[in-house]
Parts: sequence; structure tokens; C-alpha cells
Amino acid sequence: MTTLCYAKGTCAMGIHILLEEVGKPYDLRRVDFSKQEQHSPEYRKLNPKGKVPALVRDDGSILTEYAAIATWLAMSNPDKKLLPTDPEGAARTIEALDFAVGTLHMLSWRLFRRPDAYTANPDEQAQLKLRGREAVEKGLAVVDANLAGKTYVAGNYSIADSALYYVEFWVAEVAKWPLPPNVQKHYDLMKTRPAVQASRKEEGVA
Amino acid sequence: MPKLYYWPGTCGITIHILLEETGIAYEREQIDLSIKQQYSREYLAINPKGKVPAFIRDDGALLTEVPAIAWWLAMTFPHAKLLPADVDRQTRILEAVSYIAATIHMQGAARAWRPLLFSSHAGEQDSVIARGREIVLQGMDIMSTMLADKNWLAGDYSIADASLFFIEYWAIEKVGYALPVNIEAHYQRMRARPAVQRALAAEGLA
Repeated sequence: MTTLCYAKGTCAMGIHILLEEVGKPYDLRRVDFSKQEQHSPEYRKLNPKGKVPALVRDDGSILTEYAAIATWLAMSNPDKKLLPTDPEGAARTIEALDFAVGTLHMLSWRLFRRPDAYTANPDEQAQLKLRGREAVEKGLAVVDANLAGKTYVAGNYSIADSALYYVEFWVAEVAKWPLPPNVQKHYDLMKTRPAVQASRKEEGVA
Repeated sequence: MPKLYYWPGTCGITIHILLEETGIAYEREQIDLSIKQQYSREYLAINPKGKVPAFIRDDGALLTEVPAIAWWLAMTFPHAKLLPADVDRQTRILEAVSYIAATIHMQGAARAWRPLLFSSHAGEQDSVIARGREIVLQGMDIMSTMLADKNWLAGDYSIADASLFFIEYWAIEKVGYALPVNIEAHYQRMRARPAVQRALAAEGLA
């Protein structure tokens, strides 16, 4: 059976949402970050990158990288309409998804959340945390402008919304910073989706 | 006419190569990162993210994020054969493109090339650079496994090869890392392509 390797509180929650949207049976395999299980020889054998999310598919092959897993789920389940098929719609979806994963998450939130991954110096860590918050806020302002007059980031509901959601989740539930108005509306709307509620239950915030 | 905003030797080279592969007519304009032109009022009016590359299409619409621009070019100009039609290989290509952009580039090369972004502490620059190098080389090992003894990452030439080229160029020409043998061969194979030669010449890197 399809199995999602995930850790609580990570971006894997976005893939969890997409699996729920698809609605086919799947298993969850929890990787315990508090015990550094992602670096264990057993997990490394499965995913040499030592990261989550990783999706083990029915045929046993493993798929990594948020954008690739999300796109594959969307393309293999076209009836769920999670990714437009025209070049414009597809490009806008990937653009919004990449901005959430590459910029908001990896280049911004991570500075705030994991300054120790960059420097061992406590003063520097304090500065990185500030810079991380600033970068998240700047990025969310771009998203806020893009969301004006729209319900979902790339027009219709798509895989890009799952990526924006997990960043919103961190900002709202972990850091408890205010979200800009259109982003807050998007987050509230996401919370009404049954697939998102299943993820929130797993995350313990339902 | 479509237009590419870029700065020589940055990840925009990937888009530059892909544009040359399509053979379409386009304009290009340098945004001088050395004088922080990406944050100028004029450029922010074009791309509010304050980053390069940025691509303006024929219809005047702005497209950002390397994977999204690459995907759009591949889908819009199918004659260039930059993306196979089957879901499985498309997924593998996106997996590689995302890993190259978000991890090897943003987490690895960014640390090694611009350690000051992560620590202004003089004594710590070396450890930031060393960690960046480690991430890049680990990433190149993963790419080396994917490439194996094939000519191109996904069998046929694709947007993934143009993405990998940027890291290869940087690692080999700028910082002199020793890369796996098959990756070095891939780099030379890329350099033999007329489109790559034209892109390098246009950026003044030939």
C-alpha cells in the first residue's frame, strides 16, 4: 500500500492532505525526528536524502521532494483536478508551490525555526531568527497580494494550496504571528476542508 | 517579445539554456546583483519577489521560479522535447529539478558561496562553507546515482539536465569541487550542446 513517511509538524502534512484529497487507502509511517530517526541507517536505506516527506508507492518505488510527490499524486488522479493540465495553469500552480516550499519554507521559516542548522553562535542565531521572521512576512505579503480577489492561490484548488497551508499552519499555530488578511482567509477556508481536518487531527490541533 | 531578466552565472542560466533550446526569439536584460539592482524600485515593479530569473511572456505576464518557468517553456514549446509525456518520467524530472533548486542550490551552494548570509561571525565562516560543501557534494552523489551510465538524467534530455548544469558550472568553474566522474561527463556533454554554448556566450561566460 502507498505509505507516507512523515514527521509531525513538518511539511509532510501538506502531502498528508493531498493523500486525503485523493481518497485512496494509504498508510502513515511516522519518522521520529526527536530521536533523529531520519538519519538512522534503516531510514537512510529507504530514503538516502534523510528527509521527509517520502512516499513509498504501490510498486515499492520511493518518491521524494514535495513538488514531485504532489505533482505525481495530482497527475495519477486526474479526476481530483489538483493540477491544471494547460501550460498556464500548470506553471502558475508550480510557481505558487515552489514559492511556498523553496522561499517561504526553506529560505525563510527555516532560518527562524532552525538557526542552529546555520550557526553555533547564539548571537548569530538570534539574528537569523529575526531575519527569518522578516523573510516570512515579506514572502507572505507577496502571497497576500497574489491572493487578492481569489479563493485559491492558483485559481482553482490545487496542490499549491496544500503547500501554502503548511506554511500558514506554522505561522499561525507554531509562531503565532498574525497572517495578512487574504492569507488568513485562505487559511480559514483550508481548515473547512475535510482533508485538512484529517491532517489537523493527526497534528493534534483539531 | 518574451524577455528574460537574469544575472550571469546564477540559476537563470538554466532558463537561458532552455530558451536557446526552444529557438524562440526573446530579449534579455541583466539585473546587476552586485549593486543590488534586484531590490530597485524599477525591478520590484516588474518582479515583486526581488529575485532573478524572471521571465516576461509574450502576453506580458510575469513568470518566476526556475521549475515553473522551465515547466512552462517545456509544455508551451513541445517541439524542443524538453519534457517527456509520461507521468512517471515527468515526476522524476520534477523530483530532480526541485532537489537541485531547493536543496543543492538554496541549502548547499548558498551556504558555501555566501556564508555571510548565515553568520557574520568571522570565526564561523569556514564551518558554514564546509557545511554548504557537504550538502552540495551529498546532493551530487544523489544526482550521480540518478544519472548512472545514462547520457541524461531522465534518459532523454530534459529540463532536469539544464537545472543540473547550473550547479555543475558553479561547482566546477567557481569553487573547483571534484564531482563524480559521470557528473563531470554530463557537464562536458552539456557544454557540447549549441544551446548551452549560446547561453554561456550571451552571459559572457564562454
